[in-house]
Amino acid sequence: MRLAILSLRGLTRRKVRTTLCLLGIALGVSVILGVGTATTRYTATLREMNTYFQGRVIVVSSRSIFIQALPIGGVLPGGIVAEIERVEGVGDAVPMLVLVRLPQVGEGGGLGLTQLVPMNITYGIAGGRWGVLVGSTPLRAGRWPDPGGEEVVIGRYLAERNNLTVGSEIRVEGHAFRVVGVLETSSPFLTRVIIMSLEMAQRTYGYPRLINMVVVKPEEGVSEEELADRIEAEIPGVSALTSEERGELTEGLFRDVELWNLGLRTILYLMSMVLVATVMTMNISERRKELATLDAIGAPRGFVLRMVSGEGALLGLLGGLLGLLLGSIASILLVSRYASVPIAMVFKSLLDVVPPKTALEILASTVAVSTIASAVPTLLAQRMNIVDALRAEP
Amino acid sequence: MIVETINLTRVYRLGSSEIRALRGVSLGVEEGTFTTILGPSGSGKSTLLHLIGLLDRPTSGRVLFRGRDTSLLSDRERRRLRLRNIGFVFQTFNLLPTLTALENVELPMALAGVRPPEQRRRAIRLLEEVGLGDRLHHRPSKLSVGEMQRVAVARALANGPSLIIADEPTGELDSKTGEEVLRLLKGLCEERGVTVLMATHDERAARLSDRTYRLLDGVLQG
Repeated sequence: MRLAILSLRGLTRRKVRTTLCLLGIALGVSVILGVGTATTRYTATLREMNTYFQGRVIVVSSRSIFIQALPIGGVLPGGIVAEIERVEGVGDAVPMLVLVRLPQVGEGGGLGLTQLVPMNITYGIAGGRWGVLVGSTPLRAGRWPDPGGEEVVIGRYLAERNNLTVGSEIRVEGHAFRVVGVLETSSPFLTRVIIMSLEMAQRTYGYPRLINMVVVKPEEGVSEEELADRIEAEIPGVSALTSEERGELTEGLFRDVELWNLGLRTILYLMSMVLVATVMTMNISERRKELATLDAIGAPRGFVLRMVSGEGALLGLLGGLLGLLLGSIASILLVSRYASVPIAMVFKSLLDVVPPKTALEILASTVAVSTIASAVPTLLAQRMNIVDALRAEP
Repeated sequence: MIVETINLTRVYRLGSSEIRALRGVSLGVEEGTFTTILGPSGSGKSTLLHLIGLLDRPTSGRVLFRGRDTSLLSDRERRRLRLRNIGFVFQTFNLLPTLTALENVELPMALAGVRPPEQRRRAIRLLEEVGLGDRLHHRPSKLSVGEMQRVAVARALANGPSLIIADEPTGELDSKTGEEVLRLLKGLCEERGVTVLMATHDERAARLSDRTYRLLDGVLQG
């Protein structure tokens, strides 16, 4: 207890210096937390999108790319589905027309910047085969659309953001649709989809008899690789992508993001270490006589070490707590911006955005880094000549 | 004899030159006496007290504490001896500025493992004995120099030491306050039987002593 009091009072003696040091640590921690949670959430969202259509081969135009469950550029004639179904080893082929609407300036988080996650994604799915996209995700309310009706099912985020419920009208590309169901999902991807029949999507978006992807299920005993090779060999102008190939498209990006995150974290921790070591060295230099007095009255060697380390740990703890507060605010803003979700909605799920385990890990790392950083001044204190220090002017 | 020095020398090296602070000092301090080391500034008084107080090690010679050769003690044993058997009073008081008078006195007891309620009780009693019963919760910056030195004396007594080493304890005080501190030290010696070993350059201060050693240029005179 006395040790803690000595450490705390040692810090409060130089209020401006301590405050600046705490702010420096807090700034570092807030950036670590803010960027860390935002990138973690962003990559988790993208990784989750990669999990769709697992075990299926996706066929797209060879002029398009397929990334994060979305075909970009290039269309295929609707008749190509029959050609695919004739390929040996095809168990099932479901055509889709997928259209992405990116957020406009001022939408989403309200920061007026370009967001990275689409505002909404329309999936036109043929033959009422909704399960190919949503799997076992249930409807929060309502039913699935009639294939010929001007009806849609929407994700929860779209419903909440636009105050839509079953029976509401939604306008898509100027066409009015009736919301007949709301998907009960926390998936950042599914929560923003608009699902309608393929025919309705083709009509709404002006793509008559065109599609931009086909989800192909291999027959029992046929591998994805085998089937993809056959499709590409037999049907000109298409690309057939296996689950593994689709994953590889983004793995490099994820690795880069994680490396940048790790690099940023390392740099900020090192900067915090230098900051704490500098402040503690200054503190120790000014208190040589005090430390020598403790030595003179017989304080065990470990006492001074614990006192100085305690000051470092306290700096880390207080700076870390302040940083977590600032970082949580930064995380909410960043997630809101990058995921195009209103701040109020992000705030409601604060514990998802800033998981307590992550916050505790960062706090513990900050305390550890600060304590380690105080090792330098502690060693200086240890090597101090007690007689010289006692004779020094106060 | 509580302390005995045998042919003590201490040489400091400053670059290529040597300073011989003590040259073969042999003396003895009887238990329960008030002994003064008298000498001008630079005569080696503080060096001698630092060696006797186990804060420094001699270049040659020995310091015996109750007949025990302290050169054979480990660093840990020397610290323990300082904590439990020796109290220090410095010229510039050396109180911890972030602690109150009471906390400064409690500190050596805390280091010695005395339980907190006992620390508090003894610290209050000691501060009352030195006339600071009404200044318990004042930090050093709120005390006069005389009061600070009295807190330092109370701190030196905290663990009931058998030896108090006072290095120019009146050096920073006016003559009246200095006289009060000297009488306080003398009283401790007489009433508690504590041995006081004091270094001073003040001839008048030496008058209270039971025994006075004169030190000049690192050599005991007479």
